[in-house]
Amino acid sequence: MKRTRTMANWGNFPKMDAQEVDTKLFVKLLKERTATDTFIARGNGRCYGDASLNETIVSTLDLNHFIDFDAEKGEMECQSGVLFSELLEFLVPRGFFLPVTPGTQFITLGGAIAADVHGKNHHMEGCFSEFVLDFQLLTADGTIIRCSKEENADVFWQTIGAMGLTGIILSARFRLKKIENSYIYQESIKAKNLDEIFALFEDSKDWTYTVAWIDCLQKGKNIGRSILMRGEHATNDQLSKKQGEQKYLIPKKGKLNIPINFPGFVLNSLSVKAFNLLFYYKQWSRKKKFISHYTTFFYPLDAILNWNKIYGKKGFIQYQFVTPKETSKEAMREVLSEIAKSGQGSFLAVLKLFGEKNEKAYNSFPIEGYTLALDFKVNKELFLLVPKLDEVVLKYGGRIYRAKDSLSRPELTNYLTIDEGSFDSIQNKRIKNNL
Amino acid sequence: MIVLGSNSDVSRAFVELILQKEQLENLYLFSSNTEQTEVFKKHLLVKYNTNIEVIDLDLMNFSSFDFSSLNFDTVFCASGYLGKEGEDILERQDDNDRILKINYSSLVLVLNAISKSLIEKGKGTLIVLSSVAGERGRKSNFMYGSAKAGLTAYLSGLRNFLFSHKIHVLTVKPGFMKTKMTENLDLPKPLTISPEKAASLIYKGYKKKKNTIYIGPIWRLIMFIIRNIPEFIFKKMSL
Repeated sequence: MKRTRTMANWGNFPKMDAQEVDTKLFVKLLKERTATDTFIARGNGRCYGDASLNETIVSTLDLNHFIDFDAEKGEMECQSGVLFSELLEFLVPRGFFLPVTPGTQFITLGGAIAADVHGKNHHMEGCFSEFVLDFQLLTADGTIIRCSKEENADVFWQTIGAMGLTGIILSARFRLKKIENSYIYQESIKAKNLDEIFALFEDSKDWTYTVAWIDCLQKGKNIGRSILMRGEHATNDQLSKKQGEQKYLIPKKGKLNIPINFPGFVLNSLSVKAFNLLFYYKQWSRKKKFISHYTTFFYPLDAILNWNKIYGKKGFIQYQFVTPKETSKEAMREVLSEIAKSGQGSFLAVLKLFGEKNEKAYNSFPIEGYTLALDFKVNKELFLLVPKLDEVVLKYGGRIYRAKDSLSRPELTNYLTIDEGSFDSIQNKRIKNNL
Repeated sequence: MIVLGSNSDVSRAFVELILQKEQLENLYLFSSNTEQTEVFKKHLLVKYNTNIEVIDLDLMNFSSFDFSSLNFDTVFCASGYLGKEGEDILERQDDNDRILKINYSSLVLVLNAISKSLIEKGKGTLIVLSSVAGERGRKSNFMYGSAKAGLTAYLSGLRNFLFSHKIHVLTVKPGFMKTKMTENLDLPKPLTISPEKAASLIYKGYKKKKNTIYIGPIWRLIMFIIRNIPEFIFKKMSL
C-alpha cells in the first residue's frame, strides 16, 4: 500500500503531508531507493510533536501478530506493531503484566523500544529496555539482524531509545512481570508545595510505582501543589470479596469518546484552573488508601477515546524535561513560575522522580532527577513560552524527551549518538540542522 | 471451521472473535499466500487452544479439492479481489480475469465443493462476504461489482438449494471497511467501519441465522436509495 495523506502524531501538531507505506512495500522501496531517500518507522502514532514523521513513513501496524509466550520463563515474543493494550488483554488473565508501561496502553511494542519508554516504576526498575531480551532489526541494506545484549550488542544499544533512526524493529522478545490480580494497592497523598512533594518522593522510594499530578497554575508559596500517587500490585488478600471473584478482570474498552475537535476557547486558563481546583479538593483528607484497577491507575486518560480533540484543531504539544537531581528543585520552581506567569495552564502536569540512568542505554532520555510532563494548547503565546522554559532546562543541565519534542532547541535533544543512514525523521533533521 | 481468504483483515478479526466465544476443535486456514498465513497461525496458537492447519488454495489455479476429510461445520469466506481502478478498465485483461475468478467463477466452484461435503455432514453454515458493490454496477468498479452481483445471486440460490439439507447460508454485504483491500481509497469516515466491528456484526448475524446482512446496517438504506435512482439519471452520474 502507498498513499499520501496529512499526518500528525497524538498532539495534532505539527501536521505534514507524508507517504505512508506498509512493511511489505517498504522492503521493495528499500531495494529501489536513491541515496537521498529516507524512511522512518511509525507505530500507532501516540508520540507527540514531529517524532516518527517523515516524507515516507513505514507503518508497522501490519506487524500485529504474537509469536511466542512462555509462561514458565515469563517471556513474550511478538511483532513490533502489537499494541500494549492487546498484550495486556492477553497477559493479565494469565497472571502477567508489562514490566514497564507509559501512561497510555495504545502504543506499539516497536515504539516502546524506539523511545525506550519509562513508567511510574522507573526509579525502581528502569526503562523498558531493561526487560528487552532481543529484537529483529531490518536495516538499510535490507538485512535483518538479531540484536540482544550479547549478540550485536552495539546495534542493540544504539537502537534503544534511538527513535527509529537505526532501522525498523520487526519483532521483539521481552520479560514479563508476574501479578496475582488486575489490581493496584494505591495511596494518594496531598502536598501543599514543592518542598512537600519532593520529600514525599524521597519517602516513597521503596514503592514500585510513584507519580504526582501537579497544579502548574499555582504561584508563590503554593508552587508545586500536588497529589502524589504511589502503588504496588495488590496481593489477593487485599482485594474485596467482589474484586476477588474477578481477580483478572479486564474492563470493556473505553466507551467515552470525544467525537469532534472542541472549539479553541473551551480550554482556557479559567477552565484549567477550575479543573485543577476540583482535582485537588476532590480528595478531602491528606492521605487516602484504596484498591484501584490497573487501568485507572496506569491509564486514566485511555478511558476517554480521542481525548486529544479536547485541545481543538490546532492541537497541543507535550513538554517533558528532566534535570539532574541536585538542581531539580530550583529548575522546577523556575519552570513552574514561568508557566504560572504565562497563564498557559496545562491540564495534565505530571511529576516523577527518575532513578539512576542505565549508562549502557546511552540514547535513552531518562537521567536521574525529576521529570515534569506538561500539555500545552498550541497558540501564539506558546511559541514565546517554550524558549523560556528551554532556557531554564538548559541552564540546569537538563534535557527534553524526543518522543514529545517539537519546538525545543536542539541542545536539549541532541543526546542521541547514531550513525547517519537511510532512516531519518523531520524531527531529527530539525535537530541536526539546528532549525 | 474453514476460512477462505485467511489473510484478510476481516477473517482475522472474525477468527479471533469466534475463538473467544466458542471452542473450535479444528481450524483450516486457506490462502494463496501461506507464508503469511503461517504467521497468523502462530499468533492464534499462542492465544487459543485449537488445532490449526494452513492449506494452500489459489483461486487463480483451482481445479478441485476434497473437503470431505476435514472436520468442520462452519465456513467463513472472505476471498475477494478489488482490482485496479481507472479509465483503462476495458483493456486490463489480466486484472479483470483475476477479479472474475477470485470474486466469482473460481470461488463458486470451491463453495460448491464445500457445500457437497456439508450435505454429507447434514448440517452447517456458510458465511460468505459479497459486497454492496454488487447491487448496482458503477463505472468506477463494474468488473468487481458484476462479479459480486453474480456471487450474491449464487448465494441466494445456494441458500434455497441447501435449505432442505438444513444448511444455512449467510450473505454478508459490507460497505466501506478499513482493511488492506481498501487502504488506498479515501473512504468517508462515518460510513467506514473497522474489521473488528464488522466481525462482531457478522457474528451476531450468524448466531441469529440471518440471511443477508449489511455491514454496517446504514448500507441497507444507502443501497435502497442507490438501487432506486432512475437509470436515465444514474447513467450520467459519476459514482
